[in-house]
Amino acid sequence: MNEVYVVGAGQTDYGSFPRESYRSLFKEAVDTAVASVDAEFDRESVDEAYVGTLGVGGRQLGLPGPAVTEFAGLNGTATTRVENACAASGVALRQAVLAVRAGVADVALAGGFEVMNDVSSERTGEWLGVSGETEWERMAGTTFSGVYAQMADAHMAEHGTTREHLSRVAVKNHANGAKNPHAQLGFETNLEDAMNAPAVADPLNLFDCCPTSDGASAVLVASRDAAEELTDNPIRIAGAGQSSGRVGLFQRPSLTEIPATQRAAEQAYDEADIGPEDVEFAEVHDCFSIAELLAYEDLGFCERGEAGPYVASGATEPDGERPVNLSGGLKSKGHPIGATGGGQVVEVFKQLRGEAGDRQVSGLSRGLTHNVGGSGGAVAVHVFEEGWA
Amino acid sequence: MGAYVSLPTWWRSNDSRYRLVLGKCPECGAHNFPAEGVCASCNADADFEEVEPEGTGTVQAVTVISGGAPPEFDEYQTREGAFATGIIELAEGARLPGMFCDCDPSEISRGDRVEAVVRRLYEQEGVPRYGVKFRPVE
Ligand SMILES: [Zn+2]
Repeated sequence: MNEVYVVGAGQTDYGSFPRESYRSLFKEAVDTAVASVDAEFDRESVDEAYVGTLGVGGRQLGLPGPAVTEFAGLNGTATTRVENACAASGVALRQAVLAVRAGVADVALAGGFEVMNDVSSERTGEWLGVSGETEWERMAGTTFSGVYAQMADAHMAEHGTTREHLSRVAVKNHANGAKNPHAQLGFETNLEDAMNAPAVADPLNLFDCCPTSDGASAVLVASRDAAEELTDNPIRIAGAGQSSGRVGLFQRPSLTEIPATQRAAEQAYDEADIGPEDVEFAEVHDCFSIAELLAYEDLGFCERGEAGPYVASGATEPDGERPVNLSGGLKSKGHPIGATGGGQVVEVFKQLRGEAGDRQVSGLSRGLTHNVGGSGGAVAVHVFEEGWA
Repeated sequence: MGAYVSLPTWWRSNDSRYRLVLGKCPECGAHNFPAEGVCASCNADADFEEVEPEGTGTVQAVTVISGGAPPEFDEYQTREGAFATGIIELAEGARLPGMFCDCDPSEISRGDRVEAVVRRLYEQEGVPRYGVKFRPVE
């Protein structure tokens, strides 16, 4: 199997950018990724491009992939649009990895974009719930935050998770995001404010929820031979896992687990020949605070049911045993749906290369990204290691 | 409209919408809702036996939606305010999502016993859509 390396990664700021278009945002992400490559990089050398977007707002429902890659100068590159809700660009990355492993591509691009803030709040509302199970879950009045709220309710009842445990996720991620110039909500908060924010979907409040965001991301991957021409500071993709699960929460055996995360992680760990104990830091899918706690358990960072005490112990703080969401996560950095998975890679790439500025944690050599679509219908997990294999 | 259930799709699910018809798996005995697809418990691709449940169940998880309801329920939320929605496990064992009614939304919690009642859910394209909601039983 061909080895695959990340040779460049870039993202736009996440936020609300009425003067930008989905195309200009994507081009900015590609330009930034290209500029991050150590050697001179010819974007026409990209053999395959995988572009994630949900298509919020309906702006270019057909052919959104070529619409952005041609705009960004990829000039004829085979482009495939990936739709797996919020996991779109994590899954796009895995497609790029598979293309390089298969020997079809020497260089491939994975990325994504979403523009969520340029339409009326009514129309945004119509789009936010489209990744829930439509026929039954949605028709019971369930919103996207509502599904995660139900998981939080069940986790609290089954495992004694508390309001404070949820808010600790928000406080940690905002503290990290405050050091990230790309972050949409780059401000700190405190436990009291986070615990007493207005309710959104009980038990989740405003500080348990990520914002709606505009933004784009792009990741350049290459085969060993191509990577040797492009960098002396390689980041290897040691494991790439993906799994699917029932789209509706009610259709799954447990309300407090995401089986697709467990299966995707197992595959990524097996490929990398590691276990969860070997993961030094991670960017996990914290669309809601409870989602980060579920990720700790499903990825094997702590025992089942122990995610609340685990976050409270400080283990996932920047100075803890396993920092999680050093970028600020979806909570603080933002969540432009199709761009999120690629944006997670940008943080891991920077941390492993020692280029993360004020948020840099020293001595990191192995990181993980975890990207969830909907409430667990699709999950991608990747393991990254510094250096040549 | 971002997501949509067409009238024909709604119509073909009427047995599930009104009577909560379950599919009993001949391989493992699990009850599936709705009664289609492979068995969620054992993955068997077998003909389900249709079972009409008695219509009572237990709340497994609940949330109170304070704002931003799906557009189908916009009008309902504007009129009624916050509402509770959750996951109910029927006495026969199948789980399904459902909205709660005939109660203060904050009163519903995990472990509560509820029963199914047919209610008007929303109106779209001039056609009212009916289906099941759940209300507390003493
Ligand atoms: Zn079965």
